[in-house]
Amino acid sequence: MATRKRTSTAPEKDSTKPSTLAPPVEKNLSAEVLAALDITDTSMNPPASLEGRDHELLKKLYDGVVKARAFEDRMHSMYRAGDLLGSYYSGNWHEAISVGTMAAMEERDYYCPLHRDVGGHLMRGMPPEQIMGSFMGKSIAPTGGRDGTLHYGRLDLNTYNPPSHIPANYPVATGMAFAAKYRGEDRVAVAICGDGSTSRADFHESVNIAGAMQLPAVFQVQNNQIAMGTKLSMQTNSGSFVIKAAAYGIPGIKCDGTDVIAVYDAMKEAIDRARSGGGPTIVEAVTMRMHGHAEHDGAEYVDPALKEEWGKRDPVELYEKRLIEAGVISEEEAAETREAARKWAIAARKIAITAPMPDPTNIEEGVYAD
Amino acid sequence: MPTEEKTSYSYLEAIGAALAHELDNNDDFFLIGEDVGAFGGPFKVTKGFLEKYGPRRIIDSPIAETGMAGLAAGAALAGLRPMVEFQFADFISCAFDPIINTIARHHWRTGDAMPIVLRAPFGGRLRAGPTHSQSMETYFAHVPGLKIVMPGTAEDAAGLLIASIRDNNPVMFFENKYLYRRLSAQGSPSFEPIELGKANVVREGTDITVVTYSAGVHQAVEAAEELAKDGISVEVVDLRTIKPLDIETVAASVKKTSRAVVLHEAAEFMGMGAEIAAEIQKEAFWYLDQPVERIAAKNTPTPTSPPLEDAVIPQQPEITETIRKVAKA
Ligand SMILES: Cc1ncc(C[n+]2csc(CCOP(=O)(O)OP(=O)(O)O)c2C)c(N)n1
Repeated sequence: MATRKRTSTAPEKDSTKPSTLAPPVEKNLSAEVLAALDITDTSMNPPASLEGRDHELLKKLYDGVVKARAFEDRMHSMYRAGDLLGSYYSGNWHEAISVGTMAAMEERDYYCPLHRDVGGHLMRGMPPEQIMGSFMGKSIAPTGGRDGTLHYGRLDLNTYNPPSHIPANYPVATGMAFAAKYRGEDRVAVAICGDGSTSRADFHESVNIAGAMQLPAVFQVQNNQIAMGTKLSMQTNSGSFVIKAAAYGIPGIKCDGTDVIAVYDAMKEAIDRARSGGGPTIVEAVTMRMHGHAEHDGAEYVDPALKEEWGKRDPVELYEKRLIEAGVISEEEAAETREAARKWAIAARKIAITAPMPDPTNIEEGVYAD
Repeated sequence: MPTEEKTSYSYLEAIGAALAHELDNNDDFFLIGEDVGAFGGPFKVTKGFLEKYGPRRIIDSPIAETGMAGLAAGAALAGLRPMVEFQFADFISCAFDPIINTIARHHWRTGDAMPIVLRAPFGGRLRAGPTHSQSMETYFAHVPGLKIVMPGTAEDAAGLLIASIRDNNPVMFFENKYLYRRLSAQGSPSFEPIELGKANVVREGTDITVVTYSAGVHQAVEAAEELAKDGISVEVVDLRTIKPLDIETVAASVKKTSRAVVLHEAAEFMGMGAEIAAEIQKEAFWYLDQPVERIAAKNTPTPTSPPLEDAVIPQQPEITETIRKVAKA
């Protein structure tokens, strides 16, 4: 019989047996640290290669960004013409994010976006005149004029209609993802917010819950460098949003938000992971807010150098140039697509302008469901 | 540029001037809120403050309502006088927990002072929809420990705000955003504090009392002028503070006129009208010639679209006719 070993306070290095003295968290901690390293940053990469890409997809992305831009242009002129009840929240320089995101989603997936996501809504099938109508208080708006401006969405399009409070769509997205997992449905929920929105409890509680429950959700942060007038350095000291994924033990991908393909790739990876049971991801897409917070805001407080630098990165122009250079589309096709989009937006404005205002007689109905 | 002598000031300017006055005179007083710095706040109340007072005292907060309210509580306990600006009153809901559980109850639990002002633009008529138009007073009126101030005139705005800042209790200061640029007063704002909890009889009358506050004051006065043409004499009482509620002034007026209408913009159900009608009944029942009537918003959220919003928030003809009906009954 072997002599009894003298007990040591230090566990033997080569022992594979878990030591009873070692706190159980130690193992979990290392797993967490490993997960924390699952962070990719492609935001500084050169534009994603077009080689070997499905041309149908490339053209779909092009059509999407061009339509989004045509819609933005129309809304800016509608604001100036006094067509809108209040202000307009421009999605300029966000087109690639909205469109790349929607292209990576399936129709059955839930879309929980915030204010600068016109491109995604349009791609999913929201009629443009309904969005315009929302900014005009018209009866054709998705809420029939009960709510307005950017508060539109349609559950029949698997698209959530967010309230003003940001990012209230985040907890809702976790609920949709929860329902998908609960019922065994093959659906992913995509929630979108801005850099400033990440400061709120809703963001942290939702991402944490989704991580802990391994829900099929993707949390996108559109980092456009500013929240109303508050710059990033006042919003958070962390400098990056994707890095926050580490704290929740989930993966993160940071990408160039002016490159529609880079956004598509990042979102596709995150959505595929969620769909296959791999849990949530934070995707950070970097761009710049090229207008005021809303149209009434002249944004004099923005550093002109920043605007100048980002002004060179028009996501629509850049993509168009690449497609033409690669021979995916011709100059003429591009011009035709742009002109078709312009006409489409003008037609929508006509419908929105001529649509009636809502009838107030039944305003007290609908406070409760039947 | 030569500085021009201004002969009038708006409700919004009165608030800005009161803030500047207190910032000038008390280094412990600071302002935290989303975009209050370079942006000047969503309504430009604090435009130019960052340059004048610097980032130590004018603090751009992250979008973190819970965090701001909680920070104010700690700073107040540590001896400062914090003011939190909420961009819209609607977003106070995000800070409900620290306001109710940390800020409102602390003094009662411990005896420590909690001198905080929570400022917020509220109310409708700007076509801003169900989550940008709410009247929040009764959510908080139910909570012991909070004072609630709702100025209705440019003349009162600065004095009530300064009294709120100097008060040793948490004060919720609700500014009617529809009035910001629509009201003006002559001269320049007075920085004399106006005692909280004292109503103001803004128009004397003998036939009926309208009890109201905030934007309702102007609607009541307009109705009173209209009804005067028909020989109906309307007294208008501006509560100025919802809590403490100056029921004495209200009761004295009702004892004189024998009739009362309560007017407010918040939804009728469980609104201030319910409390005031009950108090009038308690204090002046035997003087009343008619039941107290309420004029308030319908019990629905506030819609965006103009015809819908107008159908929900009390409009001038409805206000005038209701007052006439009770006066003549
Ligand atoms: C809870 C809450 N607080 C404040 C606001 C007011 N608000 C609306 S948008 C906004 C800034 C949002 O910034 P960010 O999330 O970065 O999005 P961006 O507008 O830059 O796209 C603020 C403060 C709000 N809607 N909800």
